[in-house]
Amino acid sequence: MKILLVEDDRRASEYLARGLRELGHVVEQAFDGETGLKAAEAGIYDVLVLDRMLPKLDGLEIVRQLRATGSTAPILILSALDEVDERVQGLRAGGDDYLSKPYHLEELAARLDALARRQSEAGPGGKLRVADLELDSRARKVTRAGRKIELTAREFQLLEFLMRHTGQVVTRTMILEGVWDYHFDPKTNVIDVHISRLRQAIDKGFERQLLHTVRGAGYTLTEDP
Amino acid sequence: MALVTFARSSIARLAVLHGLLLATSMMAVLGGVYLGTSRIIANESDQLISLEAQGLAEEFRDKDLDAFVAEIVDRAEDPWVRGGVYELRGPRGDFLAGNVVVLPELTVAAGGWAEFDVAVTRGDADASRRIRGRVTALGGGFRLLVGHDVQDRRTFREVMLRSLAWAVVVTLLFGALGGWWLGRRISRTAQAISASAGRIAAGDLGERLPLSGSGDEIDALVMRFNELLGRVESLTMTMRAVLDSTAHDLRGHLNRIRGAAQDARHGAASDEQARAADTVLAEIDRLSGTLQGLLRIALAESGTAPLEIVDLSAVTKDLTDFYQPVAAPGQLQVTIEPGLTVRGHRQLLAQALSNLLDNALKYGRDTAVTLRLSRHGDAARLEVSDAGPGIAPEYRELATVRFRRLPGSSGLPGSGLGLSLVAAVTRLHQAQLELGDAGPGLRVVLDIPLASA
Repeated sequence: MKILLVEDDRRASEYLARGLRELGHVVEQAFDGETGLKAAEAGIYDVLVLDRMLPKLDGLEIVRQLRATGSTAPILILSALDEVDERVQGLRAGGDDYLSKPYHLEELAARLDALARRQSEAGPGGKLRVADLELDSRARKVTRAGRKIELTAREFQLLEFLMRHTGQVVTRTMILEGVWDYHFDPKTNVIDVHISRLRQAIDKGFERQLLHTVRGAGYTLTEDP
Repeated sequence: MALVTFARSSIARLAVLHGLLLATSMMAVLGGVYLGTSRIIANESDQLISLEAQGLAEEFRDKDLDAFVAEIVDRAEDPWVRGGVYELRGPRGDFLAGNVVVLPELTVAAGGWAEFDVAVTRGDADASRRIRGRVTALGGGFRLLVGHDVQDRRTFREVMLRSLAWAVVVTLLFGALGGWWLGRRISRTAQAISASAGRIAAGDLGERLPLSGSGDEIDALVMRFNELLGRVESLTMTMRAVLDSTAHDLRGHLNRIRGAAQDARHGAASDEQARAADTVLAEIDRLSGTLQGLLRIALAESGTAPLEIVDLSAVTKDLTDFYQPVAAPGQLQVTIEPGLTVRGHRQLLAQALSNLLDNALKYGRDTAVTLRLSRHGDAARLEVSDAGPGIAPEYRELATVRFRRLPGSSGLPGSGLGLSLVAAVTRLHQAQLELGDAGPGLRVVLDIPLASA
């Protein structure tokens, strides 16, 4: 996909651009706010990556101006500021996601992927489907091969989150933020335990596994790994 | 109860004191006026009586008896116009002239003063008039009483006394009212300062006290207070700015180093290079984690983290549900009283809670962990206990110091920042943190003030 990267730290920008290119993306770079905004207005990008603090034009200001002109391009804000309260500002300004530095390339790539590809919308009747696994978000019901699966409220939310990002890698942090709205690292492997319980519920007894671990990155729910 | 509180308040004390003070000074002034006036009036009428008695004594000497008696009869004829009272008695006590008959009953020596009541009929009403008179010995056994109607004087004194009493009551009332008003004004200012200080302590550094605009001492006090607040705000903001820019700088550097290391890892020509790059990456991640932890603590301690109304019961429920699968079945026992709300920072509260649970599960060494959230007076009390080795009393204070890891914890993973964050979050929420003995094990009690409805 085509990514616009607006980052004034040239070396950081180079490392990130190279990493993303190696993952098969097309990356265009801008090194200050003004050129970044011009590039964003002129080109068509699948996703924009903006540093929060930029010379000439602040990252948040670019987001505001783009949103004011009706642009709906997904935007990820990168920031070296503490993210607890900053991220609220970033999202309020119109950003779609927020990642603080230093970041893992895998984390950033997974988030860009999630942003660029439209999230799977629930079908008619609020239904999501991956292979023979079906989730009815209105009826709060999950079935696999027609058999009903009992889940707790959080397990349901976790499964819904994974199914909306089907085929994409979701990281532990994305799960923590997306399902629990926690913006801290719980130290222990809590997410892994929740995933393995969910796996027990939806994959146990079926020949085809749907919930896969992606080493060093996170998890993915897909019928063709 | 309300009355007791009122009586104890400084407003009530000031009101009573002010009222008493005013009433006392009013009593002194009016009392002085009363005493002075009544003395002057008394002197004046006594002088008049003495002068008349003296004049009549001279006439008695100069005139013959019949002419003198005629004179007395003449003077006594229309007594109430001038207010004069006369009675002349002969040597044998026989009544010769006059308009009253009182001398036989008076036991006053010659030259002495007497006061008595005389019944008069004026119009239809019977009334009694007060008379003050002097008895004069005229020589040859003749005695003369010359008196004056002092009823008006008496009435004046009564009116004066009554007015004095009323004046005292009224000044007492107005004085108390004035004191109450003054006190309320001062007390309101004190309350405003106190409320304002509370909001500042809770993190609202932009808070300023309103000026009344009168330019009085209270305004001067408020202005000084506001200056102080401005200084606190600017210092805190400077600290926050330094913190932010340092954090920004460090994160930027770490990010660049991480990018370089990742780049090196990707282009590694040998396994050895790859392992070296992995070590660097792992160290950078550890460093970032520590930096992150320190920054969270700094954020909580700067007091600039925005607070909102948080349903602590819901946050606790979510978090214990989150941790439940990590614990062995039945290991984590949770009791939560619903509906406890506090003024707080949701993320920091959740993180502090998470650190406490994480510690209990980690250092409790697979013993039962109990979490209880309940109302305790004006606070929400969160208790987390395990039945592990606990912390020896002498180390409990050290446990919340940054990077301080306690003896016996070296085999377990940890940054030494967990309880420091809990302590910082405690301060941010003006809460109380206590590490105690669960006998055996560690018992952590956190009392967070409930949000006022």
